[in-house]
Amino acid sequence: MKAEYSPIDRASSVPLILLLRSGVAWLALSGVLGLVAAAQLISPHFLDSWSFTTYGRVTALAETSFVYGWLANAGVALALWSLGRLSGEPLRGQGWALGGWLFWNLGVLAALVGIVHGDSTGFTLLGLPRYVHLVLLFSYAALAVPGILAWSGRQRKISYASQWYAVAALFLFPWILSVVHVTLFAWPARGVLQPIIAGWYAQCAWTLWIAPLVLSVAYFVVPKETGKVLPSYEFASLGFWTLIFVGGLTGGRHLIGGPVPAWIPALAVVSCALLLFHTFIVFLNLRGAVFARGVASRLISIGLAAYILGALVDAVTSFHSVAEHTQFTYFDTLQQQLALYAGASTVLFGGIYFALPRITGNLWTSAGLVRAHVGATVVGLLLLLISLGGAYYVQSQGLLDAKVSFATITAQTRPWLLGAFYAQAILLVGNIALLVNLLASACWITDFSAPATFNPAPALETSAT
Amino acid sequence: MKNNVIFFLGLFTALLISWAGIVLGSNAQLGKLAPYYDDNDSTSYPQWLPGVAAQGQLVYRDLGCASCHTQQVRRPGFGSDQARGWGERQSVARDYIYQPAPQLGSYRIGPDLTNLGDRKPSAPDVDDLLHLLYVGAPGMPSYRFLFHTRQLGVGAQASDHALSLKGALSPPAGTEVVPSRRALELASYLVTLKTTYDYPEAVPLAAAPKEGEK
Repeated sequence: MKAEYSPIDRASSVPLILLLRSGVAWLALSGVLGLVAAAQLISPHFLDSWSFTTYGRVTALAETSFVYGWLANAGVALALWSLGRLSGEPLRGQGWALGGWLFWNLGVLAALVGIVHGDSTGFTLLGLPRYVHLVLLFSYAALAVPGILAWSGRQRKISYASQWYAVAALFLFPWILSVVHVTLFAWPARGVLQPIIAGWYAQCAWTLWIAPLVLSVAYFVVPKETGKVLPSYEFASLGFWTLIFVGGLTGGRHLIGGPVPAWIPALAVVSCALLLFHTFIVFLNLRGAVFARGVASRLISIGLAAYILGALVDAVTSFHSVAEHTQFTYFDTLQQQLALYAGASTVLFGGIYFALPRITGNLWTSAGLVRAHVGATVVGLLLLLISLGGAYYVQSQGLLDAKVSFATITAQTRPWLLGAFYAQAILLVGNIALLVNLLASACWITDFSAPATFNPAPALETSAT
Repeated sequence: MKNNVIFFLGLFTALLISWAGIVLGSNAQLGKLAPYYDDNDSTSYPQWLPGVAAQGQLVYRDLGCASCHTQQVRRPGFGSDQARGWGERQSVARDYIYQPAPQLGSYRIGPDLTNLGDRKPSAPDVDDLLHLLYVGAPGMPSYRFLFHTRQLGVGAQASDHALSLKGALSPPAGTEVVPSRRALELASYLVTLKTTYDYPEAVPLAAAPKEGEK
């Protein structure tokens, strides 16, 4: 198909390319760290002679670099890009984005150095040491400025689902981070309120920040790739508001059976079920992605399938009787990888493959590297999810039977964890391919818009088929 | 969605509702939770952690021990927590009110540690735990960076808490392996872990009899 082509993109390319490059670089780093952590699950004495490579810190480093390095940079870049496109003008306030990019990435770097030194807060998805919160807060607000300007100054009065999701993600994250900073660090709450608040943050970071970023990409790319109006689009706003209103209430499912008021996990069961309404609308709207050709829509349809599956799994495991089996096991890892990797990252990959040629005006340098990355992502993810599923099953059976010792469980899960290790290695190879290809493709910008003729630039999508 | 103001107000309201519901709601319920005064013992529970143990909890946090160990016992009948001897009753919110950084954890790659200081038949003491930290266990890494080897003067007596190591691990003659301050804090913290006092809200729940059983 023909790639439509717009001088708007060229004018806003600098901050977007910087964000994408640093995002993919953090992704590769988190892949290395994740590989070390996976190796340590197989042989615990691997690299245990230094404090900074001990398992607890390596996992915190991998997670921080993945979420705040990769997902944040890439997600914000694509959100800004689609907001600019849909506003019909080049992005305004790009200086804010440049400053935001610089300080956000310095903040993430400082967070990693802090965790190496032992300043991690120890909470899931919030390993960030307390002293980087303010830097991240203000730099994110700066990053959001061009997006908000593009939204409020848009030329058309009507707006699109892609814009709602993008604006929600840009607007809400600073609030979530500042609230959690005040209640957990500035005036810390006592006792189990800390894990409750941290769980609320982790859930909001997913449902009110990362998921909206990802959905804004999907809602932008899918209609372009299919060339059709989204089916049942009139329900899209219902789906959006369901996510925004209900999403933040689902965090309690991690606290089932814990020393917290029983209404917290009970509320999570109800809201996880309500959230399926949102998931169903996403499915209705974007189901066309499966039939579209091209790398971008292929990756996005895989990502959306994982997103939908993830929501179903969340709803099922929020029940007491299911949680008895899944709680505290590798199933949590599986759920996290299903959401953050198979769901979010794959959609962002698709978005990058779609957007980068339009931003730079260049084709992807190597179609072979694209193929390598897509292939490694698909194979790696399948192997990872299957291995973690196997490890979960063995571990869960062992944990429920008090006669089975931990040494036995360790020995029994080992072959499955070996599979997860290989999966991480395959994913890492794919991500290095993406990094190399991205650096090569985005090192110059071709300005097709100079002659005032419409240049259809025949095939900006690489076809890996 | 034509109106910017209403759109942003909607977003903000949504966040406000989930924050008020979960954060403020649980704070209203638990924020003023007081220790429980037992007239018979003339003591209130839970008790403050000794200073060295409170420091140890921060060491526990910064090494990420919670990546593999939980500190929450679930009620009888939910999982095998009681059968594994991790505690006779479920953990309750009051257990944690004096902890500077409660470490509930979310993975059980290793055992739960809520009642490590009250294991039956015999609970580990500080020296056992230091030894474990130095040597590691199947499935558990060692933490040798928390220790150092130092020269022992001729005929000098070994230091307090010097590890007694055998075989390949034993240090060269004339030297000894001693824990750092952080290792001692961590081990002192771990031995204080016990939630043995039964609060009114934590009276052990008997597992409900199965249908047809009496």
